[in-house]
Amino acid sequence: MREDVVIRTVCRAMIPFIQLFALYVILHGSSSAGGGFQGGVIFASAFILYVIAFGIMEVRRRMHEKVVVALSSLGLYIYAGIGILCILFGAGFLGYSAIPLPVSAAETRGLMMEFVEIGIGLTVMAVMTSIFMDISVKEGGED
Amino acid sequence: MMEHLPVLVVIIPLIGAYTSLVGGWVDRRYAFPIAFINILTQFTAALLLTVRVMQEGVVRYNLGDWLPPWGIEYVVDRLNIYVLLILLFLSLLCCAYSKRSIGMEIEERKHTGFYTIFLLLVAGVTGITVTGDIFNLYVFLEISSLAAYTLVSSGRGGKGLVAGFNYLVMGSVSACFILLGIGHLYMLTGTLNMADLARVLPPLYTSTTLHTAFVFFIVGLSIKTALFPLHLWLPDAYTHAPSTVSALLSTVVSKMGVYATIRILFSVFTVEFVVGYFPVMEFLSWLAAIAIIAGSLLAIAQRDLKRMLAYSSVGQMGYILLGVGMVNQLAMTGGILHMLNHAVMKGCLFMVAGAFIFRTGFRRIDDLKGMGKRMPWTSAALVIGALSMIGIPPTVGFMSKWYLALGAIEAGQWVFLAVILASSLLSAVYFWRLLEYVYFREGEGGVEGGTGDVPLPMLIPMLVLAAACLLFGIFVSIPLSLIDPVAESLLGGV
Amino acid sequence: MEPLESPVPFIAILVPFCAAALILLSYRRRRLIEAYSLLASILTFALVLILLPRVMEGSEVTWSVLKLLPGANLGLHVDAFGLIFALTSSSLWIVSSLYSIGYMNAHDGHNLARFYAAFAIAIASALAVAMAANLFTLFIFYEILTISTYPLVVHEGTEEAMRAGRKYLAYLLTAGVFLLLSLLFTQHLAGGNEFTSGGILAGHATDFIVRILFLTFLIGFAKAAWMPLHSWLPTAMVAPTPVSALLHAVAVVKAGAFGMMRVICYIFGLELASAAGLNMALILIASVTILVSSFFALAQDNLKRRLAYSTIGQLSYILLGVALLTPQGIAGALLHIPFHAYMKITLFFTAGCILVSTGLENISEMKGIGRRMPLTMGAFTLGAIGVCGFPPLCGFFSKLLLAEGSVEAGAIPVLLVLLSSSVLNAAYFFPIIRTAFLDDPAEELRGRKEAPVLVLIPSLATALLSLLMGLYPAFPFLELATMAVRALAGGP
Repeated sequence: MREDVVIRTVCRAMIPFIQLFALYVILHGSSSAGGGFQGGVIFASAFILYVIAFGIMEVRRRMHEKVVVALSSLGLYIYAGIGILCILFGAGFLGYSAIPLPVSAAETRGLMMEFVEIGIGLTVMAVMTSIFMDISVKEGGED
Repeated sequence: MMEHLPVLVVIIPLIGAYTSLVGGWVDRRYAFPIAFINILTQFTAALLLTVRVMQEGVVRYNLGDWLPPWGIEYVVDRLNIYVLLILLFLSLLCCAYSKRSIGMEIEERKHTGFYTIFLLLVAGVTGITVTGDIFNLYVFLEISSLAAYTLVSSGRGGKGLVAGFNYLVMGSVSACFILLGIGHLYMLTGTLNMADLARVLPPLYTSTTLHTAFVFFIVGLSIKTALFPLHLWLPDAYTHAPSTVSALLSTVVSKMGVYATIRILFSVFTVEFVVGYFPVMEFLSWLAAIAIIAGSLLAIAQRDLKRMLAYSSVGQMGYILLGVGMVNQLAMTGGILHMLNHAVMKGCLFMVAGAFIFRTGFRRIDDLKGMGKRMPWTSAALVIGALSMIGIPPTVGFMSKWYLALGAIEAGQWVFLAVILASSLLSAVYFWRLLEYVYFREGEGGVEGGTGDVPLPMLIPMLVLAAACLLFGIFVSIPLSLIDPVAESLLGGV
Repeated sequence: MEPLESPVPFIAILVPFCAAALILLSYRRRRLIEAYSLLASILTFALVLILLPRVMEGSEVTWSVLKLLPGANLGLHVDAFGLIFALTSSSLWIVSSLYSIGYMNAHDGHNLARFYAAFAIAIASALAVAMAANLFTLFIFYEILTISTYPLVVHEGTEEAMRAGRKYLAYLLTAGVFLLLSLLFTQHLAGGNEFTSGGILAGHATDFIVRILFLTFLIGFAKAAWMPLHSWLPTAMVAPTPVSALLHAVAVVKAGAFGMMRVICYIFGLELASAAGLNMALILIASVTILVSSFFALAQDNLKRRLAYSTIGQLSYILLGVALLTPQGIAGALLHIPFHAYMKITLFFTAGCILVSTGLENISEMKGIGRRMPLTMGAFTLGAIGVCGFPPLCGFFSKLLLAEGSVEAGAIPVLLVLLSSSVLNAAYFFPIIRTAFLDDPAEELRGRKEAPVLVLIPSLATALLSLLMGLYPAFPFLELATMAVRALAGGP
């Protein structure tokens, strides 16, 4: 891959902000516009930008394909795990308020919802990244 | 846990999908057992749920403890559970069948992904059956459709990819129509809960917007169910997909479209609407009748076994919709019963086709000479499946034909009666040709591949389905006991 | 008398089915297959025989197998009417099992497991048709009969056989669809389909609909090979001789004729049939078939085809008998089922014997064959005389009753048809006998001897049985027929 200082520098500067924004969108999903799906996609776009700037091999080294798989599964486990936790505490699936935390019911609900959003965000991010990585491998051989 | 069963049946395959992904990364061999055990667990859960439905009538579940119509509600009644059991039973058998059959058809590095997508598809179809929320239904419809596109194109060779792409395009068009329909409904009523919609819609029955929404639904669902002449994606997809996937598509995926159609026609809109205000049933029945004849005629013209079965599926979908379209209790029972029957017999036949390909690589009917001797058990399953498709008593195919024909007589629809009876003769033409090649013509040497039957993991699901063709035919009262009140409750208004 | 509940009829049907499964599973062991087949035939006959004393006492045996669909039960009901047919097919299965073994040994048969299994299933279906308690059961086994006989028709696997098989299916599956249609309408109109003496349709339909329904039934029972729906039968003669003998002279075709009788007597009812004028149509069809088929038979040189056309004619005797709607006519028709079966099977068996020992199929080549194979041709002669209706063979009695029936009904033209048919029968049978015995043996026949024992004995046995039943017609068939007719008339 050809070295391109401008793109690399801009990316280096941009990526943390994109990721931060993604986290913001994910965490504010429970109370405002946004949520796991949108945040996850934004997060994935940071990786995609990274791939464009530094090449797929670099990303592969930093984030192995197995990690992507693990992250996508982890996200789902968080989501389903919280849902089932609610069942275990006697409420319905995703009936957050039943989980006994030392805060008020409304706060519990908000907190758990954010966890769920994080889970969704992780999965979406991982899946989007993996799709992009697959496509880029197919197009240009190993690079 | 009993009260949470409606949501558990959806969550189990969702967790399983990713567990098999992780398991598959650890060791490729783990993916299959995880998937299989998962569907087995899910099937058990569905059986438990059946017990509850039989006791309580309708099981309701509010997701996240939000009350409907604000929250998403899962509603399981007899129709849902009946469809769910069919889907899971077939998924289980297809999963078992896939263990050996995908070996040749799908690259090995894709096997883990195959089972993940497989389970996602199962999660999607399960979600469709249990949900009582029309937008949720759309989401699950998309999950399962996307999974289906992927599975179709997962095989080796480019043809599957092209077929999968065509399927994707048609499926997405259909999804757009459905989404537009849902959007219109939401715009009109502000609710997405099916029961709520059915309650608030009647005063709006003359509204043009509602009619537009309804047309969107009909078109979208017709593509999903491959109703003639919107079936064009189907033959390629069924033919070029790996054998397991063909079986899965023809049994599970096609049924979910039919189920969604029945739900939306009768539970969101009502009989009153579809008969009185927007007389679409007559139109649908005629299309279905044409589908039956056209599907059979096109099947006669095919030389490729899987393609022939695919066209026959077009006709069989017509059977189900014809039963639904005649809007009387007997025909409706016949149509709903045929969902099970078609799943059982077509699943069996696609597995047989897959077994022939697995052993010999032959896809063309002319090449199957003398298979009766080389693969006796596979061919025996073929005979039972074929007889059932023709509708010879006491197989399942006859039972639905009986109900449909009685329904046609009751409705006074002589043309439909003739179509139903004539189509069994047409299917005799193309299935008998197949049997003639398999049993009564001697093979002419030059046989590549081994002889003998396929390995047990492929043989057993096939024989289970063949046995089901006979058993559900002889003991047809078992499925009937589940669906007997369904037709009545769907047709409540008439 | 109260009908007796007993599973015996059900077991009698189950035995051949189980035998078929066993035969298929042991497909590599020829002797075992033959043993199963023979044992099953004996067992089945014994089971049917158990029912005979019960029915003779005037009691009827019923067994409800399964409630299949609402309003459509799978049930068995044995009365004198059905027992005649059941006895005929099960008793002849034994002899034809023996005959098949001999024939297949002599012919170096292949695919024997398929052959014997399909044979057993066909017999089981014929039995079930005989003992069906309702139209639904009859229909189901009628269809199974069609399917199970297909492998037998195409057994040789030649191109000709495949073509014949396709024609066979085209006719009989289409017929099956018509029968289903009739069944559905009966169910719709009468709300049921149980066989009830006196019929169930009366009062449920207009004359017009009854006539239409009668027509669809008639097409549905195309197995009775009435003209013009007969041409599958001569075509099906490509099958091996045991198949032609038992199935296409007895079980399959009689299932059609028997079904038509059942439907006229127990679904339409005699009164409705005569009120709607159904009998006249049937008399016409049957008479035409009887006469035309005889002329067709005259023109055939292939012995099996000539016998096939003769069968077509004789089957219409049964239709004719029931169309007369008089007690004597129906009794005659019922009697003709077993009597014709015994005689015709003799003829087919002997045709097979000739084929086995000389390879000849055409009558013109059989000059002097009677001198080389006197026993075979003796049996043939007995059968031929019987079919023509001459005493002292059993064919005489059924024809006598039919003639009485036609006089009773005042249908003198029918009497003329019967008489001229006898003359025609003689016209196509006697030349064969003359050629066989009086002509000088051809060169090729020099040194040919009698057929193998295993095929010869069944032929002689059925010939002797036809003679015996001619000498003592009363037991059991005449008695059963009389009982059946009494029951139909509403008597005790």
